[in-house]
Amino acid sequence: MSKLTRDPMLEMFIFETAQLLEQLEQIIINSEKTKSYSDQNINEIFRIMHTIKGSSAMMLYDDISILAHSIEDLFYFIRERRPLSMDFSELTDLILDGADFIKTELSKIEADGKAGGKPDELIESIKKFLLTLKDKNLIEDEICITKEKPVPKKEQRYYIGSDDLSGIPVKKTLKATIYFEEGCRMENVRAFSIIHNFKGIASDISYYPSDIIENDETEEIIRKEGFCVYLKTEYSLDTIREILMQTVFLRHLELEEVDQVDEVIQRQRSKEIILEDPLPATIEAKMVERVQSIEAQTHSLNQSIISVNVSRLDKLMDLVGEMVIAEAMVVQNPDLKELELDNFEKAARQLNKITGEIQDIVMAIRMVPLSGTFHKMHRIVRDMSKRLKKDVNLDIIGEEIEVDKNIIEHISDPLMHLMRNTLDHGIETTEERLAKGKTPTGTIVLEAKNVGSDVLIIIKDDGKGLDKEKILKKARENGLLYKSEEDMTDKEIYNLIFLPGFSTKDSVTEYSGRGVGMDVVTRNIETIGGTVSVDSVLDKGTMVTLKIPLTLAIIDGMNIKVGKSCYTIPTISIKESFRPLEKDIIIEPNGNEMIMVRGQCYPILRLHKLYGVNTETTEFMDGIFVMVEQDEKALCIFADELVGQQQVVVKLLPNYITNFKKINGLAGCTLLGDGSISLILDIAGLTNV
Amino acid sequence: MKSVLIVDDAAFMRMAIKKILEKNGYEIVGEAENGEEGVKKYNELRPDIVTLDITMPEMDGLTALKAIKTIDKNAKVIIVSAMGQEAFVRDAIMRGAQSFIVKPFTEEHVLKVLSSV
Repeated sequence: MSKLTRDPMLEMFIFETAQLLEQLEQIIINSEKTKSYSDQNINEIFRIMHTIKGSSAMMLYDDISILAHSIEDLFYFIRERRPLSMDFSELTDLILDGADFIKTELSKIEADGKAGGKPDELIESIKKFLLTLKDKNLIEDEICITKEKPVPKKEQRYYIGSDDLSGIPVKKTLKATIYFEEGCRMENVRAFSIIHNFKGIASDISYYPSDIIENDETEEIIRKEGFCVYLKTEYSLDTIREILMQTVFLRHLELEEVDQVDEVIQRQRSKEIILEDPLPATIEAKMVERVQSIEAQTHSLNQSIISVNVSRLDKLMDLVGEMVIAEAMVVQNPDLKELELDNFEKAARQLNKITGEIQDIVMAIRMVPLSGTFHKMHRIVRDMSKRLKKDVNLDIIGEEIEVDKNIIEHISDPLMHLMRNTLDHGIETTEERLAKGKTPTGTIVLEAKNVGSDVLIIIKDDGKGLDKEKILKKARENGLLYKSEEDMTDKEIYNLIFLPGFSTKDSVTEYSGRGVGMDVVTRNIETIGGTVSVDSVLDKGTMVTLKIPLTLAIIDGMNIKVGKSCYTIPTISIKESFRPLEKDIIIEPNGNEMIMVRGQCYPILRLHKLYGVNTETTEFMDGIFVMVEQDEKALCIFADELVGQQQVVVKLLPNYITNFKKINGLAGCTLLGDGSISLILDIAGLTNV
Repeated sequence: MKSVLIVDDAAFMRMAIKKILEKNGYEIVGEAENGEEGVKKYNELRPDIVTLDITMPEMDGLTALKAIKTIDKNAKVIIVSAMGQEAFVRDAIMRGAQSFIVKPFTEEHVLKVLSSV
């Protein structure tokens, strides 16, 4: 089998198993909300574990396989017996532990091709859980560890009991003993298959071991002693031999004509005593044995990766944030103003350096690759393309790019929404595509790339593209046009689809549409300080670009003052700040104020007017302009003065404010060194006003 | 050259089977991720042999086997099973599956079964 463990197989194994675990987690997370597992979820978990069991056994990662098997068994029991009382949270913990273990193993395998963890303890707990479950739910004594479906009586029709063997007329009786090759497994099923094949050829078939259907332990007996069949037939010995010779994995065949079948009955009796070994005990013993032998085989590998509870990381991040604030409070303490403090300055710089490093490390810990989120899209594409009867291929590029955990959580839903939209509205059906001279299979490319301190996520399809006229019409109907149609660039028109209350699809489909528009995407992405834009060519395709920051928690900001209030502008959006010249100011007759900078005209935004702040600085000449830009839209913010640049910890606006009123242009708030609160401006929100 | 349709929800398993078969002169004419797709592809492709997984989403292997057998009662179907699924395999044999492969399998194992049908 080592031939199989070549790279592509390993890659596929890692990829698929990771994907399955992702699904598993999704299921568990969803179930956690409802505090119960639906039938479908139980089935799904069972299936996932079954698949992982199979694949990992193929790759010779036996620990994973055994662990997956134990969870599979557990869910088999739950699925078949539907236990009434079940410790839900303990079950969830067990599966999550299992998933985590496999995940850790996967990353180890990915690193050096070796798995090394020992799931024995976990397997024990899972088994214990299963046993308690059985005890608690008091379901018969018969424990079904093997995945045997109770076999209906009628399926045993080929077995003719020993009593029926007396007084059989004419025809000749043949006795065949069949030996299978070593390691072919499921000998009892193979035996069954032979019996099944005799249907119509022979009658009065009896065989030993006689309980091959009910008892899977018979495979051991067949392995050792062969499978013995008596049958009555009109066919010649040679014909029967020929039929039997076709048996797969046949090692040896003995075939002879006999007078009677008495011998069978006797042997059967004697065997029954041996077979009385209780089934579960043997299997359990076998399991333990296996686990022990594996334990012996496993080399102790140094564990280089540990899994940490996300909540702890969140806490750590919060603390670092507090530390950054505290540092600012010390260093910029008002008490120190105007003082000569050489040594203090030096120590402060040192402190600043270390806090910066800690912050970087903590950020790095929180970074997770986009692959998980991206691969979820495979499932969506798969499910939807099938149901919509479209042939779609999803290409993923740049899945290794990392972003903050919190950001991942925020982009997952918008991505899914966009993906659904693309599949539903973007990609045509195969017939349509062929009619247009395109390849029958549509392609969606999901790509991530780093651009400065942002990550771009691009969803590109080769579908029908956006219809400008249709969009304009819809926008007109809904009164969404904010400027005259002639003045709008194509891109501006396309981006209308992100406005609230916009949807071109007249009929609501199963997947997208449901009254939820693309504005949900915009809103989600904007809460993490990102932006969405779209470009399209009719009949060639559409490209949606999400621009998201690498991290949310701490940003570089420029503090500005307006009256007594303080605002923070993300440094990344600032183009420049300057004092204006009187001659550059333009005031339109309707009162709109603009400023010329190097031949370009920019709108002026008076913060004090926007937020109704009292200030004495209302003359442009007395204050300062900060030019900010986002999405190629720029404007000049007018403020009283610049306070200075510092790293700020972004805190969301408290609920009692957001619930009361949605304030445009605010991304959050932060604490400054002197303990005052500064409002962080949301530049995208301001430029889109 | 015999044509084969591989039906398995695990891409890994499809890849494993495909690799073995392609190396040994079988033509993989199609792959399906679940029973429903498998039945559809069987109808379209009419392969000489189908390898069919038991545990799959949407439509499981046994249901798919039944459907394939309704389309073509002479269809040659090989069940891909795991230990512990004996009962399903027996069911499948009664419903007309030709033979079965037990996971984890070796190249030799697969080839032997395939050549027997």
